[in-house]
Amino acid sequence: MSTVRQAVLRLPFSFGARRWRASPFLVSLALAPMAVILLLVVAMLWISLQKGVFGTASAIYTLENYREVLSDPFLLHALRNTAIFTLSTVFFALVLGLPIAWLTERTTIPGKTLIYALMTLGLLIPGIYTAMGWTLIAHPRIGILNRWLVDLLGLAEGPINIATPVGMGFVQGMSLAALVFILTAQMFRAMNPSLEEAAKVHGLNLGRTLWRITLPLALPGILAAVIYITTIGIATFDIPAILGLGNRVYMLSTFLYIKVHPPGSGLPEYGISGAMGAFMVILAIFLTCWYGQVLRQGHRFEVITGKGYRPALIELGRWTMLGWGFIALYALISKLLPLLLIAYAAFTPYFAPPSFEMFGKLSTVHFSNMDWDLVLRGLKNTGILVLVVPLVVLLFGFSISWLVVRSRSRSRYLLEFGAFLPHALPEVIMAIGALMLSLFVIGNVVPLYGSVYLIAIVYVVARLAFATRAINGSLLQIHKELEEAAFVAGLSTFRTAWRVLLPLIWPTLVSVWIWTALLVYRELTVAVFLGVQDNITLPAVIWSYWYGGGINKASAVTLLMTLVLTPMILAVWWVGRRSQVPGQ
Amino acid sequence: MISIRHLAKEFPVSGGRVAALKGLDLEVAEGEFFVIVGASGSGKTTLLRCVAGLEAPDGGEIRIAGRVVSSDKPPVWVASQQRQLGMVFQSYAVWPHLTVYENVALPLAEGEQRAPRREVSSRAREALRLVQLEELADRSATLLSGGQQQRVALARAIAVNPRILLMDEPLSNLDARLREEVRGKIRDLSKQLGSTVLYVTHDQVEAMAMADKIALMQAGELLQVGLPMELYHHPARPEVAEFFGLVNWVEGRMVQPALAETAVGAIEIKGSQAPGSQVLLGFRPESLSPVSTPPAGARNVLSGVLRSSTFLGDQFLYDVMIRDHLFVGKGRLIPSNGDGNVCFYVDPREVMVFPAKKKISGRFDERGI
Repeated sequence: MSTVRQAVLRLPFSFGARRWRASPFLVSLALAPMAVILLLVVAMLWISLQKGVFGTASAIYTLENYREVLSDPFLLHALRNTAIFTLSTVFFALVLGLPIAWLTERTTIPGKTLIYALMTLGLLIPGIYTAMGWTLIAHPRIGILNRWLVDLLGLAEGPINIATPVGMGFVQGMSLAALVFILTAQMFRAMNPSLEEAAKVHGLNLGRTLWRITLPLALPGILAAVIYITTIGIATFDIPAILGLGNRVYMLSTFLYIKVHPPGSGLPEYGISGAMGAFMVILAIFLTCWYGQVLRQGHRFEVITGKGYRPALIELGRWTMLGWGFIALYALISKLLPLLLIAYAAFTPYFAPPSFEMFGKLSTVHFSNMDWDLVLRGLKNTGILVLVVPLVVLLFGFSISWLVVRSRSRSRYLLEFGAFLPHALPEVIMAIGALMLSLFVIGNVVPLYGSVYLIAIVYVVARLAFATRAINGSLLQIHKELEEAAFVAGLSTFRTAWRVLLPLIWPTLVSVWIWTALLVYRELTVAVFLGVQDNITLPAVIWSYWYGGGINKASAVTLLMTLVLTPMILAVWWVGRRSQVPGQ
Repeated sequence: MISIRHLAKEFPVSGGRVAALKGLDLEVAEGEFFVIVGASGSGKTTLLRCVAGLEAPDGGEIRIAGRVVSSDKPPVWVASQQRQLGMVFQSYAVWPHLTVYENVALPLAEGEQRAPRREVSSRAREALRLVQLEELADRSATLLSGGQQQRVALARAIAVNPRILLMDEPLSNLDARLREEVRGKIRDLSKQLGSTVLYVTHDQVEAMAMADKIALMQAGELLQVGLPMELYHHPARPEVAEFFGLVNWVEGRMVQPALAETAVGAIEIKGSQAPGSQVLLGFRPESLSPVSTPPAGARNVLSGVLRSSTFLGDQFLYDVMIRDHLFVGKGRLIPSNGDGNVCFYVDPREVMVFPAKKKISGRFDERGI
């Protein structure tokens, strides 16, 4: 009997109670990304234990790499830089993001939709734009601000240096302030206003209420945001690369980069970078576990509120101008000014502070002199990634979510963990793992090294955590009986997904698609670590011009890239208006 | 039509597993309207979902129309899609992104029991006609009232001409008046179509009104299966008697094969019990009928004091104290001979007799009136 399926699938993923759903196809779709992530990490660890010719019989297994890493004085220096950088990142992100979140959720400030749009879309403007812009503003030699100050005060050299760990932290903090905003705005919204009202009734003024009630209540949420930002800060590559590499200020991530892509004629030190990566993995997993713990503890403070309470908002009155002034200043220095300067640099033959003389020299020389071969190749590769990655992410993300949300088996926790894993692993680690996997493990079987599809694989697993979380939330809102009705009515698993589930959650899917496409479009870290001649992406083209000193050319390509980026960001805004979809 | 053997199902809970079905057996004949009734948590929905193929049993066997659809030894599993069922869900599960017509037509067009392409439309419309929803065919499903959604779900279930119709508390989301109206219609429709129906509910009135046969379920087991009248008048166990309505309980000892000595006097029963055995006697409120003049020499006449009464419209519900025992009676009028004393007659045929194994704590003892 062909219709009688033997219940043979009794492996850990038989999903006990749900044999009907556990089609092996669906389960393998859900498991594949997890396998890839584990493979990446294992490849990295394996190489870190070797000396000699990696992956061959002549390799010597030893802990020598770890000893070398720990005794490297230069590493200690990079570690110190990273610590300062991360601390400043957290500081600036909080100082900028937290007040805006509070203003938006707890006061009567007008134009809240606009603030939300500014902050969410701000998240989509690449950090490298801000970094490039701020180089043009505050680089000690070429920075406009420094040049003005030198002229004005008659100094010998520029007093401000953005290419320091603190300066980079400032730029990174401006970028991540949008994330702090999104993370903490939810918290301020969920906070029970009656707690603050009780303070008011019992005679505490606004300042005291904020200090004694609001802040302590918000503390777990803020701490969670701090850990989250720290996790990103420690391993972030793009901003330290743009600001620091050319000026020889190294972070852990950029240090890793020169280990695998040494400048000049140096040889890559894969074993040592693997050992460094191992330490970063441990640190990242520790931070992620801590983050989860803090989030759980945060629920302690949750006060159950009745339905339909309306939070009492704080009357801002004449402080409105100050509030909006703050938000506008943030938007100006973090997004608008850097973008304007990039545009300016794209049309000037060499970089100098704006003047009548410079405006007379504006030309499109960088566009006509551009290596169009390279740019078009970058555009083609980026195009492939933007087309392929979001679709694959949706396919895997939906499969995982469906199993996780609907299964009652314990194995779903494994899947959930697998989907969360990429969240804990920094992109540099995945990139290093992919590099080693393609070079030394599967290099002879599948020639992935130097292929754009290697980058695509890493993008897919890296973006999966966000996708599954969004789709989980959306699927949970769909009553289980809607799909069961389809099963009983005789619709196959595939048709049930296609005709019932996907139409019901399509706004989420569209939004996940666009977000993923955007993040893939602007991604630099993985593209630079895995990039060679053939698989260079558009952001990597910008990076190679910039790293090679071609500031103006890099700006010109950036401007081209923005031309495509703008309609995509507008699309996010448009879709976001139609459906309330969570940000990141 | 449906044959279930030793069906077992457990669910993992924190700190262990809880048995939802404890090896139960069930037989549903073709064309039968079979109602499974039980309190919430009794496992009745789990049973239905096992038949539907939405839940995989841990043990036992299910056959539909002679074909094994689920079995542990040898392992057999037929997916829900291939069982050729129709089902009405508690939430109706009307697909909100489709119109009324599309909801009914989707299984016909793309399901396992799909109809030939040219018949899809006519059969979907026929199903909608049967539930009187033809005019709303092109309306979006979300714009319907609860009662209308329920009919869409019903039309969808019958459109594929299923061998078996499964219904999971389909009336529980309707208001009381509509519920009475719809339950008649569902029964009529199923009889008209000749379907075999497995119907789950927690409402004993609904069960008795609709069923050809009732199975009462408790804690994963079937307490009794039978005709509605059987379960009401001849319950196999005190629990069954209590489920279908209020019971006045009194303990006693048999002094003759058909006569028991109790705290409220001698009570005659029908049938015979071993003299000397301890028994638990029960009779329903409507069996405690007031009489103005007790028949001469009649047994089973109890005299008590009226404590309170509730006017229900068609009849009275009253509490009576008979020799320090509180009883509940039901009747059309309360005759009183002036001093507050009332006489009642209990028909021996309406006394339920159970061996007194354990003390039943009826609602009656706990009523603190």
